[in-house]
Amino acid sequence: MKKLLFPVALLFGALSISAQKMTVENVYKASPRNAAAIKEGSEVKGYYFFFISDKIDKKTNEYTLRITDNTLKILKDVKFQDSKHVYILESSFNGTDLIFLFYNDDENTFEYQTYGTDGKKKYTYNRQLTKKEERFLETTYLALDDEEETYKGLYPIEGSGFVSVMPSREDKDYTFQVDFFSTGKRKQWTYTPTEGGKKFVGDYLGYHNGVVYLEVLRFGGAFDQKPDSYILGLSLETGKKLFEKPTDSKFRFYPASLSLVNEGKAYIYGEYFDDGANIMKDKSKGFAFWEIDEKGVIKSEKYLSWDIEMAKYLDVTSKGKIADFGFMYLHQFVQTADGKIYAIGEGFKKSASALGIASALLTRGRGGASVTKAIVTDMMILTFDQDFNIKGAKVYDKNSNKIELPSGYDFMSTPLLGKLLKYYFGGFDYAYTQVNKDMTSFSVCYSDFVKEKGSYKGGTFNSITYADGKFTTDRINTKSDAKFSAIYQNQQGKVLIMDYFKKDKRLEMHVEKLN
Amino acid sequence: MVGKCRTLALLFTFFICSLCQGQLVPVYSFQQDDTLVKRKYYNDALDKKKQLIAGLQKDNIKDYKQAYEDMFEVVENLLISPRSVTEKTADNYIKEIVAKIINANPELKGLDVRVIFSRDMPPNAYSIGDGTIAFNAGLFVFLDNEAEMAFVICHELAHYYLNHSRKRLDKYVEIANSDSLKKEFKRLSKQEYKVAEQFEKLLKTFVFDIRRHSRDNEEEADRVGMRFLKKTGYSGNGFVTSMRLLDKIDDTALFTTLNLQKILSFPAYPFKERWIKKESVIFGALNPDDATGLTKKERDSLKTHPDCSKRINLLIDSAAAISGKYFQVDEQLFKQLKQEFIPEIVEEVFKSENIGLNLYLSLQMLQDGKNLPLAVYSIARDLNLIYKHQKAHEMGLIIDSENKRYDEGYNLLIRMLYRMRLNEIAELNSNFCSFYQEQMKNYEGFATEMDKAKENVQAHQ
Repeated sequence: MKKLLFPVALLFGALSISAQKMTVENVYKASPRNAAAIKEGSEVKGYYFFFISDKIDKKTNEYTLRITDNTLKILKDVKFQDSKHVYILESSFNGTDLIFLFYNDDENTFEYQTYGTDGKKKYTYNRQLTKKEERFLETTYLALDDEEETYKGLYPIEGSGFVSVMPSREDKDYTFQVDFFSTGKRKQWTYTPTEGGKKFVGDYLGYHNGVVYLEVLRFGGAFDQKPDSYILGLSLETGKKLFEKPTDSKFRFYPASLSLVNEGKAYIYGEYFDDGANIMKDKSKGFAFWEIDEKGVIKSEKYLSWDIEMAKYLDVTSKGKIADFGFMYLHQFVQTADGKIYAIGEGFKKSASALGIASALLTRGRGGASVTKAIVTDMMILTFDQDFNIKGAKVYDKNSNKIELPSGYDFMSTPLLGKLLKYYFGGFDYAYTQVNKDMTSFSVCYSDFVKEKGSYKGGTFNSITYADGKFTTDRINTKSDAKFSAIYQNQQGKVLIMDYFKKDKRLEMHVEKLN
Repeated sequence: MVGKCRTLALLFTFFICSLCQGQLVPVYSFQQDDTLVKRKYYNDALDKKKQLIAGLQKDNIKDYKQAYEDMFEVVENLLISPRSVTEKTADNYIKEIVAKIINANPELKGLDVRVIFSRDMPPNAYSIGDGTIAFNAGLFVFLDNEAEMAFVICHELAHYYLNHSRKRLDKYVEIANSDSLKKEFKRLSKQEYKVAEQFEKLLKTFVFDIRRHSRDNEEEADRVGMRFLKKTGYSGNGFVTSMRLLDKIDDTALFTTLNLQKILSFPAYPFKERWIKKESVIFGALNPDDATGLTKKERDSLKTHPDCSKRINLLIDSAAAISGKYFQVDEQLFKQLKQEFIPEIVEEVFKSENIGLNLYLSLQMLQDGKNLPLAVYSIARDLNLIYKHQKAHEMGLIIDSENKRYDEGYNLLIRMLYRMRLNEIAELNSNFCSFYQEQMKNYEGFATEMDKAKENVQAHQ
């Protein structure tokens, strides 16, 4: 459902701006990744547009990196000449500096360019990729269109620099690489785990008090179903490993993210399983919250099981299936200034697929389609107090989407299916959550559609906003006279609406507020 | 004198009408334009257009015809719209000053000119090229005397007298149709590399040349305008002070600095600081001029007018030699019109659908205690309109975005409007209306706006 594609390789001809509206004439083509939001936390501070502005010779182009503020006012055009094989991959803003990651697919290099508040280039960092690394990245990081900004690899460290976490490959071992690029002075460090396993998957959790926290899965072999899970702490100053904290305690815990809550304490949270469970197949028991310090010491643990604590507020079976809603995929946690913690989730179910069954019958089980399909259901917001006791739950209805699953997905565990729906199929309608800087309000945005005939029929962009202790909902119709319309993140409570009028080769963008 | 009487009557109405019961009075009596005069101006301009087109030579006739059509569109948009002022007092006043200038300068006699006030806010006056000269109220309200006004008119008359519009058009057509330019375009169209760089270079040469001519024209209009002014009996100092005013016009305001927190805070609904809290920005240390990528010299070359200081220096001696009066027609009426034009400008901003700016100006009027019934009514009307547009996610079409070139108060209001939630806009307006309900109970339209505001609040309960 979600079609939040970002535009694209723009060839700017003429441009006009009035009020909060920018019109770009002579837009000939669009391709992913050449435009994106520049964010500080979840707040959009501006946008960049990267396009070829001239051809210099057979091998060289002149590129323009156009940076606008969040009202689309042009702040800076950075022009430079480089190989025609250069692409922009992503950007980040850490409150004082900007970083852009460029990729040269001919020379197999990553180039990180940093810019200061005056718009002047500060430092450039390079990383040479090996052939194996390049091939591996082509199937992982580089293969993704980043349309939901899920696979972001650059994380801002306020006032210090940026951390990059990216898949990597060392000989036959698959691993990941953590880099830090300083913006205060020219300084860079790299960390790559290689010992004790054949495969490592690293996920950035967050930064706190000089420590970069990562969740790592260490696989003994390619078919290992029970990887070791541990929290890795790296020193921001040196890149040295400070600690490795296994997440097996009373249960098997798989943290999904880190948040600073309860007066700056670092909490990691995610689903937990029975000790010794196979996370690829088994059901999760519920959600866990751990407070962790900068030495990797766990200061507190909280477990909320589906069948006891959560069941008080939801009609939950012991397997975690909520009546009519299905299973829940947790997209994000938010803590507001009043200490309350909100979990934003979306429902999904498994169901028999008529297409898959027909295919199986016709091909005697050798068909490509699974006999199961996934159905993405409603949005849900769970409320917790600051001790992570559940205090409420509310379901927000939306239309269901069906995703036909490929063969082999019939017996997959629902938590893993949730991850695949999010990261592989892009099946969820959830788009993003934005929190305002003083943490008093947040908006959860997702897409939906109206199918009944009436005054409007078509796609919608929806929001659930928490402000002044109340939740309100809003909807923007996305169907218009334009060839396509898309809605992008802006500041919290606002969106950027883009309409592309193909016949007129015209792109119109304007900022609107959510209600 | 008529204007003075009307203001006294208005003040009297505002303070006394609360005692009256049942009889609703308008929030403001706007100037009443004379539609016949407006029609006459329009017909004169139409005749001039036909005459200009009929007199065209065969060479490049298509380009010239298009240029005249475009020019007439500007004239039509001004003369047929409520922007142009044909209200008798104001129209006669500017006509008298124009007549004084023309009568003193025989070379101007027989010139088919229409000099009119417009209700536009930009501090500007301009000659369109067909004999129509617009004097924006947004400039007039900042002038100190008739001598300044007379110089501005002399300058614009000089543009028309010297046929600058036609000369500029000739220049455009000549360059656009020149063999050298066509040859250069043809050459570039066949090139594969560095096309944009060469095209930009070519474009700069073209634009800089046109702008240089424009600046030369301004200097020439100053010189000839000064010559016209010399014979009118107005002081030459009108030139110097009007130039100084133009030099600092961006820092000049109609009203005192708006205290948003104070004017929009009510006992039952206090102002929320989060509405205007400053956010971090990317490239905050960047000068907006740098975004163009042009050098300072290139930016200067793009200016259509020379710097005011340069213009003053060129003619300061000539100006000093012209002794004369600051007022000759009607000092009282001059001052009266300055006051009258303020609500006219504010309302014109509303009609042009810049609701955010209208709200800002109305809040300032309220703060300064000027035109109170109109200010209060406009604020209620604007907030209801903003609510309506926001509900349809179209607020961005009627509100400007923050800009370093705007004054701080206006930027704060814009920020606030974009931060407030829909229910907050409704609550604020409802509380605003309740606060002024007693004072406004006898004014037309206010009760309707208040009802709308209360309905909007109800929708969120």
